[in-house]
Amino acid sequence: MLGFIIQRFLQAVAVMAVMSVIVFCGVYAIGNPIDIVIPPEATQDIREEAIRRLGLDRPLYEQYFIFMGNLLQGDLGRSFVYNIPVLELIGGRLPATLELVLISVISAAVLGVSLGIYAGYRPDSWVSKTIMAISVLGFSVPSFWVGLILILFFAVNLGWLPAGGRGETVEIWGVAWSFPTLNGLSHIVLPAVNLALFKLAMMIRLARAGTREIMLTDTIKFARAAGLAEGTILRRHLLKLISIPIITVFGLELGSTLAFAVVTETIFSWPGVGKLIIDSIGVLDRPVMVAYLILVAFLFVTINFVIDLVFAMIDPRLRQGATA
Amino acid sequence: MKYRKFLIPLTVTLGLTAAGAASAQKLTMGVRGGPESMDPHFSALGPHAEAAKHIFDTLVWSGTDLQIEPGLAESWAPVDDDTWEFKLRQGVKFHDGSDFDAEDVKFSIERIPVVTGPTTTAIYVRRVAGVDIIDPHTLHIHTNGQAATLPNDFIRLFIVSSEAAADYSTPETAAAGFNSGAATIGTGPYKYVSWEPKGDLVLERNDDYWRGKGAWETVVRKEIPNDSSRLAALKAGQVDVINYVSSVDYLALERDTSVDAIKGDSVYIMNLQLDQREDTPLVRAIDGSDLAENPFRDLKVRQAIDHAIDRQTMVDIVLEGLGKPANQMMPPGFFGSSEAIPMPAHDPAKAKALLADAGYPDGFEVDLYCTADRLPGDGAICQGLGQMLTQVGIKTNVNAISKTVYFPAQARLEYSMFMNGWGTLTGEASYTLGGLAHSNNPEVKLGAYNRIEYKNDDVDMLLQTGATMMNADERRATYEQAMEKVMADKAYISLVQLQTVWGAKAGMLQFAPRFDEDTLAFFISPAS
Repeated sequence: MLGFIIQRFLQAVAVMAVMSVIVFCGVYAIGNPIDIVIPPEATQDIREEAIRRLGLDRPLYEQYFIFMGNLLQGDLGRSFVYNIPVLELIGGRLPATLELVLISVISAAVLGVSLGIYAGYRPDSWVSKTIMAISVLGFSVPSFWVGLILILFFAVNLGWLPAGGRGETVEIWGVAWSFPTLNGLSHIVLPAVNLALFKLAMMIRLARAGTREIMLTDTIKFARAAGLAEGTILRRHLLKLISIPIITVFGLELGSTLAFAVVTETIFSWPGVGKLIIDSIGVLDRPVMVAYLILVAFLFVTINFVIDLVFAMIDPRLRQGATA
Repeated sequence: MKYRKFLIPLTVTLGLTAAGAASAQKLTMGVRGGPESMDPHFSALGPHAEAAKHIFDTLVWSGTDLQIEPGLAESWAPVDDDTWEFKLRQGVKFHDGSDFDAEDVKFSIERIPVVTGPTTTAIYVRRVAGVDIIDPHTLHIHTNGQAATLPNDFIRLFIVSSEAAADYSTPETAAAGFNSGAATIGTGPYKYVSWEPKGDLVLERNDDYWRGKGAWETVVRKEIPNDSSRLAALKAGQVDVINYVSSVDYLALERDTSVDAIKGDSVYIMNLQLDQREDTPLVRAIDGSDLAENPFRDLKVRQAIDHAIDRQTMVDIVLEGLGKPANQMMPPGFFGSSEAIPMPAHDPAKAKALLADAGYPDGFEVDLYCTADRLPGDGAICQGLGQMLTQVGIKTNVNAISKTVYFPAQARLEYSMFMNGWGTLTGEASYTLGGLAHSNNPEVKLGAYNRIEYKNDDVDMLLQTGATMMNADERRATYEQAMEKVMADKAYISLVQLQTVWGAKAGMLQFAPRFDEDTLAFFISPAS
C-alpha cells in the first residue's frame, strides 16, 4: 500500500513539473504580457522599466528556474495583475467554487443514480421513458444556453431567484461560505442546476446501462432465488456492482468541474476560480496560470488516487489483487 | 447624423416609478470591469481609475467631455519653461478627518513609480523631475524639459493620504494596506467599506465631500463581465444601472419600456494601419508569388483602400447604428482634431482605378489582423473591411483574433495590415499623435505605438515642437496641422467612432454619459 502511495506521489510531481514547463513555454510563445496590459501613453523607457520589474527581460530558462526555486520554498509567486500572492488569490475564490461544485455534483449523482436505476429496472414504463428523454436534453443542449434561459425564466420573467452573483456569506473556520444563509442558497440554485444538468444526464445513462446489464446476471437470479426482497437486492447487490464506472466518472467530473466551471461561473457572475483562470489567460497573468494549472494537476492526481482507494473498498476482487 | 452637441450632455429624465423609490438611498451598479487593487496608483486601466474616482480625487479633473477642470488643484500656470505652479483647494479633508495639503500631493507623485504594476501609472508623472512645496497649498512641479500638457497628465493623478499610506508604499506592502482599507483614505465622494478582487466594491457616502453630498448613502459596484448576464441582472432588478450594453441588446432595449438606454459617444476610434516597411510579411500577389515591393508604401494604394471602405454601411449594418463615420484618429472637437479634414468618399470604381494606376490592375492578396474581443463590434468591422477590400480587388484574408494574441504580435511587427481601436483618453492630440504618428524614437520618447514604421519628417517636427508650446492656441494649431498631414498620408485610415450604451431602470436615474465611458456614482442622481 505504501509503495502504491509513493508511486502515485511521484507521478503527481512529474505531472506538475511537466505542466509548469508547458504553461511557461506556452505563454512565452504567445508573447510578452506587457504588450497587453501596458497603457498607450507609455513611452519606450517606461515599457522597458515595466518589463524589467516583472523579470520578463531575463531568458526563459532563468525565469523558469527562479519560479521553481520559489515554488520549492512554498512561494507560488505574485499575480502580475493584482500584485497579491497567487495562493491568496486562488484560496480566496476556492470556497465559492467548492460549494457550488459540490452541491451540483453531489445532487446530480444522488438524483441521477436513483433515476437511472429506476429507468434500468423498469425500462418500459412511461416514467422511465420520460427520464431518458430528459437525459437526452441534458446531454445535447449547450450549458451556456441553458444558463441564459434559466436566468431569463426564473430571474427576469418570474423574479423568483437572483440573476447572478454570490449571496450573503457566513464565516466558518475563517472561510466565507454562502450556502448556510437563505440568501446565499437562493443565489446558488440556478448556477448549481445549470452545472448539474449535464452530469445528471450522464449519471442517469450510466446507472441505467449498468442496471440493465446486471439485472440479467446470475448474481441477481441467485439473490432472488434466495428470497431476498427486491429493495435489498437493488441496494446491496446492484448498487455495488454498477458503482465502479459511476465512481470513476463522478471523480473525473468532480475534478473537471472544480477546475473548469468557467462557463457557468461567467454567465452567473459567480466569483470562483474558473472565472479567475479565464481572466488570467486573457491578460497572460502567468503566475496565476502556472500556479492554477499545477494545482489542477495535483487535484486530478489526488482524486484518481482516492478513487482507487474507494474501488479497493467496495470491490473485494480488486482488494485481493492489491494485497497479493 | 452629425456629431453630438458638445456641451449639452444627453440627460435622461422620466417620472419616478414606485419600484425605484424603495431603494432610493442605495445605488447598485453592474459594471463590466473592476479595479485590480484598491491602491489607485497600481494600474492605469480604465475600470481601475473609474473605481478609484469614487474614493480618491485627482489633482486635475477631466469633465464629461474630457475638458480639464479644477480638481484638488484650484488653478495652475507655468512659471517658467520647466516649472508649473499648482494652487491647491483649501479646507479639503480626508475620510479620516485629517487635512489635505501639499505634502499629500508630493507624497502621491513620488509614490507612483515605486508601487505601480505592469499597467503602469508612471505615465502620469513621467514628465515630473521634482516637486517643491512652497506653502501648504502651493506646489512647484519641475519637469524634464517643457511639458505643456502636464495638467492633462494629472487627470489620473490620484491623491492618497501621506499619513495613512506611509507604511504601505512599497511594492510588497501596498496591495495589503489598501485592500484591507487601512490606507484606503481619500478625499473623494465615497468612503471605502469592502472589496474583493473581481467581486463587489462597497462604498458609503462621505458627507463632508467638498463638491457637496452625493445622492446615495450606499453604493455597490458589482463586477459582471458577461454582457448578457449584466443585462439580466438589470432586468431582474439586482442592479440599477449597467454599462456597455451590447449593440444587439441595444436594439431590443429600444422597444423595452422597463429599461432606459442611454447612448453616449466613445473616445474609441477604429484605425486601419498599413505597414510602411520596405519588406512586409503578409502581402503577396494573387497567384501567391512575391511582390516586388510593399504596395502599402504607394500612396495610390492607400488612397484606393480608403475609397474602398463604406463607413456609413459599417455604422448602419455592422454596428447597428452605434457609431459614427470617422475621418481622423480623434473624435471631433478634441484638442487637435481638425475640421479641415474631409470625410473620405466611398467610391469603389475610383479605388479600382487607383490600384490599376499604381501597377496592381489585378489587385493583390493580404492577411488582415484585428482584435475580436476588445471593443464592441471590432470583429464584425474586421469582417466588413475584408469584404469591402476584396470587392475592389485586394483579396483580404480576415483574421479577427483575441487581443491576448494580437497585441504581442503587433508589438513584434508581424502584421502588414491590421486594425484596432484607439481611445484618446486625455482628450488631446499629443497623446494620440505622439504615440502613433511620430516615428518610433526612444530618444525623444515618442512613437512608442507606431507599429507600421510610419515616418513623415514634417509630422515629426510638428509633434516635437507642439510638445513644448506653452501657448494653448499655438499648440492646438500645430497639432491640427499634424493631424491633417497624417490623415492625408493614409498610412493610418480611421474608420468609425464607437458609441457606448448604458442601461438603467426606467425613470429611476439621471446622468450624463461621459466621453471616457466612466460610470461614476456621484454624478448619477435619482430622477425626481
